[in-house]
Amino acid sequence: MKLVGQVVLYAAFFALLGVLSVRPRLRLMADDEAIVSISFSHAARRVGECRRLSQEELMALPPNMRKPEDCPRERHPLQIVLLMDDQTLYAAVLPPTGLWADGKSTAYQRIRVLAGTHDFAIRMNDSGTSGSFDFENLSTISLLPGENLVVYFDADSQQFKFHQVSQ
Amino acid sequence: MKHLGSLTIFFSWIVLISGIWLLIFYRTSVNGAFESLEYLTHEQWYLGGIMRSLHRYASDAMVVTILLHIVREFSRDTFRLNRWFSWSTGLPLVWMVFVFGISGYWLVWDELAQYVAITSSELLDVIPIFTSKMAANFLMDSALSDRFFTLMAFLHLIGLPIFLVFGIWLHVFRLSRPKINPPKRLMAGTLLGMLLLALLFPAHSQDKANLALAPQSLELDWFYLHVYPLVELWSPGWVWVLLTGISALIFFAPWLPPGKAQPVAAVDLDNCNGCQRCADDCPYGAIEMLPRSDGKRYEYEVVVNPDLCTSCGICVGACPTATPFRNQTALIPGIDLPQRSAQDLKRSIDDATVAKPLVLSFACTGSSELAWLKANDKAVVEVACIGQLPPPYLDYVLSRNLSDRVLLSGCAGNCRFRFGMEWTEQRITRQRDPNLRRRVGAHRIAMAWVDPLCSVGGLKAQMALLEKQASETAE
Repeated sequence: MKLVGQVVLYAAFFALLGVLSVRPRLRLMADDEAIVSISFSHAARRVGECRRLSQEELMALPPNMRKPEDCPRERHPLQIVLLMDDQTLYAAVLPPTGLWADGKSTAYQRIRVLAGTHDFAIRMNDSGTSGSFDFENLSTISLLPGENLVVYFDADSQQFKFHQVSQ
Repeated sequence: MKHLGSLTIFFSWIVLISGIWLLIFYRTSVNGAFESLEYLTHEQWYLGGIMRSLHRYASDAMVVTILLHIVREFSRDTFRLNRWFSWSTGLPLVWMVFVFGISGYWLVWDELAQYVAITSSELLDVIPIFTSKMAANFLMDSALSDRFFTLMAFLHLIGLPIFLVFGIWLHVFRLSRPKINPPKRLMAGTLLGMLLLALLFPAHSQDKANLALAPQSLELDWFYLHVYPLVELWSPGWVWVLLTGISALIFFAPWLPPGKAQPVAAVDLDNCNGCQRCADDCPYGAIEMLPRSDGKRYEYEVVVNPDLCTSCGICVGACPTATPFRNQTALIPGIDLPQRSAQDLKRSIDDATVAKPLVLSFACTGSSELAWLKANDKAVVEVACIGQLPPPYLDYVLSRNLSDRVLLSGCAGNCRFRFGMEWTEQRITRQRDPNLRRRVGAHRIAMAWVDPLCSVGGLKAQMALLEKQASETAE
């Protein structure tokens, strides 16, 4: 009887291991869905222009800190809008990183969308001006089911790009 | 059930040994990682494949035994007061095991690894320590380098194991004679079962990771990754709230509320000859032997550390001066439990045997055995732990015919201390000091160490047998 109990316990334990290590399957998205990922880091423009210090101001500073210009470190927040077929997929105001708000702003989001052909528009304002965007890219893209479309800002060419498997 | 901790360590040995085999063939590159494991799984299935499966299933088994270990200690209320240290140091171990397992899945670089990489990064990105998003590295193949796999392999194979070994040492630091290995039969049985599982359902990779495509469904290891679906369902931030909340609750459980402290064992130097038996038997290393301070001719004296003593009374059971036959001097042993003294124990025996019961039982405070014995009007004497009972007390009961038989009960499933049953059995079978005297017929003593679930069936059967034997003797 004790042996039977032990066999049952062993069987239950290993059955649990065998099943829960792979089952039940996790469904991550529907068969007709794709992913749009927006991901980039970009340093917005500084809040103010550099100002040349007067001779009196320079002389008031310690000798090792006498830089001719005083440049504010703080940067504007980034304003991002991603549209798909004129519907907003992602919109955010991203503050700069860093204790002095002088670092890059970072965007990251993954969004599930229906596969198929869509018109995409990505717009970004990095200068703090209201009502206009400094960067824009429009593109019509066919998304396959399960495809991962990555929208990113290319720092070298200073423009937004759409990256997908077929490219 | 009492081997859950040591069983976890045994599984970690399997993980380590099988992991070393996998390491020999593992290639730390974007393409090499997946391909090297495919080679092991399919080309070298007879060894590498089995090793991989053992690695997977032993890792999963660790999660099960850790969970049961936590539930068991919690249900027995053996985590409060002086035992908070072992409880709270177990929590970082749980985190380490999970980080270990998750980083292991990352190394396979299949679709599951891709999912794990992105979701783990999204979780880590919530912590404001990185200037850019870590998850961005797993969106395009061009962003991923071979060096990343070198880093992950280093973490998984060297960094984490060092912390894990240190963590285990810390976890058992306050225990005397920590059980590192489970019984050989248990080791053999689990290894055999795991081998069978590895042969019948070998671990395999899913499709190779392709960052241009998002996996639509996955075979998830629910032991390690059960939280991951919540990241998308809620948000990474809320998952952290859940995880840190549960962790904080577990960590501070010993004080929620704090247990009611029992007086610790008290030393009476006038009766202590510094024999060291109590220090040898203390399961918590709470007794130190220090040079004699009272000028007596003995070399050592006993000092109890109140921060480690759990008031189990096993030291009293080991004390040769704890004997009820003393009639010239008061019954004050060298070490005693103030709340259940040796004198008190003798009085309880005398009271319980006024009517000369056929069987006198001893049972631990708060046990289901004690409850059953009391409910069925059996003559029973309560002890803090069965190991508190010094063998001369059995001699006292039987040689003076206060009762014809003695039944000692205990259950590993609800045992609130350590070694009580083991030491008692060894004392009665004369393998451990203080021994039961030879004049006491061992056949008149029965030990009912009932099954791990503490059902009283075994106790009932043992009691019925003893009562029958006692009746026959009386006739």
